[in-house]
Amino acid sequence: MSHPGPETFAQNARDALRDPILTGALRRATDTFAQRRTGAIAAVPDWQDLRERARAIKAHTLARLDHYLEQFTTNAEAAGTTIHWARDAAEACAIVQQLAEQSGARRLVKSKSMATEEIHLNAALARSDREPIETDLGEWIIQLAGETPSHIIVPAIHKTKEAIGQLFVDKLGIPESSDPQVLAAHARQRLRAHFAEADLGISGVNFGVAETGTILILENEGNARMTTTLPKVHVAVMGIEKVIPRFADLDVFLRLLPRSGTGQHLTTYQSLLTGPDAKGQGPQQLHIVLLDNGRSRIACDEVMRETLACIRCGACLNACPVYQSIGGHAYGSVYPGPIGAILTPQLSGMHSAAALPFASSLCGACKDVCPVKIDIPSLLLELRKRAVEGTASEPAARGGIGERLLWRAFAWWMGGPRRYRIAMLLARLGERVPFAKRFAGPLRAWQSSRELPKLAKRSFRSTWQGERS
Amino acid sequence: MTSARDQILGTLRKGLRGTTQPPLPAAQSPRTLPVAERAERFAAVLTKVFGHVERVADLRAAGERTAAILAAANASSLALSDAPELREVAAALPSDLRQLPHDAPRQDLLAADAGLTMAQWGIAETGTLVLESAREQHRLASLLPALHVVILPCSRLLGTLAEAMVRLQLDGAPSSRTITFISGPSRTADIELELVVGVHGPKLLHVLLVDGC
Repeated sequence: MSHPGPETFAQNARDALRDPILTGALRRATDTFAQRRTGAIAAVPDWQDLRERARAIKAHTLARLDHYLEQFTTNAEAAGTTIHWARDAAEACAIVQQLAEQSGARRLVKSKSMATEEIHLNAALARSDREPIETDLGEWIIQLAGETPSHIIVPAIHKTKEAIGQLFVDKLGIPESSDPQVLAAHARQRLRAHFAEADLGISGVNFGVAETGTILILENEGNARMTTTLPKVHVAVMGIEKVIPRFADLDVFLRLLPRSGTGQHLTTYQSLLTGPDAKGQGPQQLHIVLLDNGRSRIACDEVMRETLACIRCGACLNACPVYQSIGGHAYGSVYPGPIGAILTPQLSGMHSAAALPFASSLCGACKDVCPVKIDIPSLLLELRKRAVEGTASEPAARGGIGERLLWRAFAWWMGGPRRYRIAMLLARLGERVPFAKRFAGPLRAWQSSRELPKLAKRSFRSTWQGERS
Repeated sequence: MTSARDQILGTLRKGLRGTTQPPLPAAQSPRTLPVAERAERFAAVLTKVFGHVERVADLRAAGERTAAILAAANASSLALSDAPELREVAAALPSDLRQLPHDAPRQDLLAADAGLTMAQWGIAETGTLVLESAREQHRLASLLPALHVVILPCSRLLGTLAEAMVRLQLDGAPSSRTITFISGPSRTADIELELVVGVHGPKLLHVLLVDGC
């Protein structure tokens, strides 16, 4: 099954808007999460201080990322962890593949991880007949259906329980049910069998502590604990931006992340893992794959660097009016919503994803809810500018001559009081002509979902002058 | 050929040279909660996320309550951690209950009806149990069975997450290779955001807060 990419964003979005089941589910889900988040942060009196602190920690760390990565590596290795470095997706997949081969692993399980989605690890491992079984319930559903996640936190947000029930009938041969309790019980039973025989477990990483070489994994279901406990080899894929300086900093991020994501004060489980722990019933080997895949380039770009402060909570998705309407698939990339609109063009190149920074009304809701205060609207504007102007490595990806002429004309008309008055006069006259409110040509698309505002009968300027005379 | 490590670090070193480096915020002294409020707060928060919390007088009483909880759940096998305190608790359990030590065969542990562990710390503010692998082999007994009974001495209740992070760091290093935080039974809302309690981990979580130990 092929999936639309970011190149066809406009068409993807139109398709999504025509799907009533999807739009209904999205509205319910994003509303629910937004409400829960509001409730959860109301109980934290120092919420704004906490955001500020997290932002400062991230800004500091990213500006010294080389130093903190070296410190993380040294301490993780001292604890017995094996560190691997991957410049890009292909290298990261090859490392995991080799680890599976070396350890003789045939049966792989995996817990939810955006980084592994980003590098398309499952497809790479499938080529040697080692496709991991996804064990997060939502991810497992998506895998059974041959689809891709549509939300960072709730991957199957676009699927109804009836559709999932039918999927389980088709793929697992169980009696039909649309009761989430029943469906989850089947999942528990089926995935137990996979956990019991798995010889390699793959996870993501939420935070890596430089000072101790510790990785932290958050979850609710217990599948990440199973994945990182039962198999004899654990491979964790970690974006290089996930490192934080101090063990105590985890407190700050643990107070922010679950509240922003699901509105929980804490997710059910946190696993803090420092080295392999065979004596403590854990795996014999712990491997961490440090993934660059474009991140070092973003870190070196002083304007865009804060993109890497993202802790993947999903709050900006739930708050975004565009995401609320079209969902994650329309973005055609692993990272959807406002964060995806800034991250995707930087990771995969402006050419394929130039439409994404324009997929925003710049309302600023994303910035307001971001737990690490990433200024997403400003970064969207910067990326739009770069898309239009082009950069040394990537020439202009957008902005035709017509559009540029139009803006230039607009700037000229608005550039002096006399010209402005004439423009307004013409507009008032134009309003009286029937059909003139419909634009023609390329502006028609803009108007298909917008009403042209009605001008006041009398302008403020003439009212002002009338009052004074 | 340059290694991936050298290339990534080299790119960063070169690109970050001369960049403005905002300071790392200074460490804060951890927030806390008065000792007298902790037990009540812990129970209230954990109950809200579907955990069960009871107070008992001592380990012997904890054993009696554990027996009752296991009986109510029709549990016939129990996976135990290697915590020494559990010997006193286990002494109160019925003789027909099959007790599986921490090093029992994996297949038996996977099939166990219930698990029994201690917790090294509790965090009142978040209703969280903290289990350290260096103190207790807890990973399987606290995860695999559908019912998890936890013994937590009242004296080990901390106020906040920040306090726990301080206690869990000894001479700079984490206290254990594995530290597990548990706040309630396993849960998911992956199907239409409808809450289901008990997916991969335990469906029932019983915490016995012990006063006299």
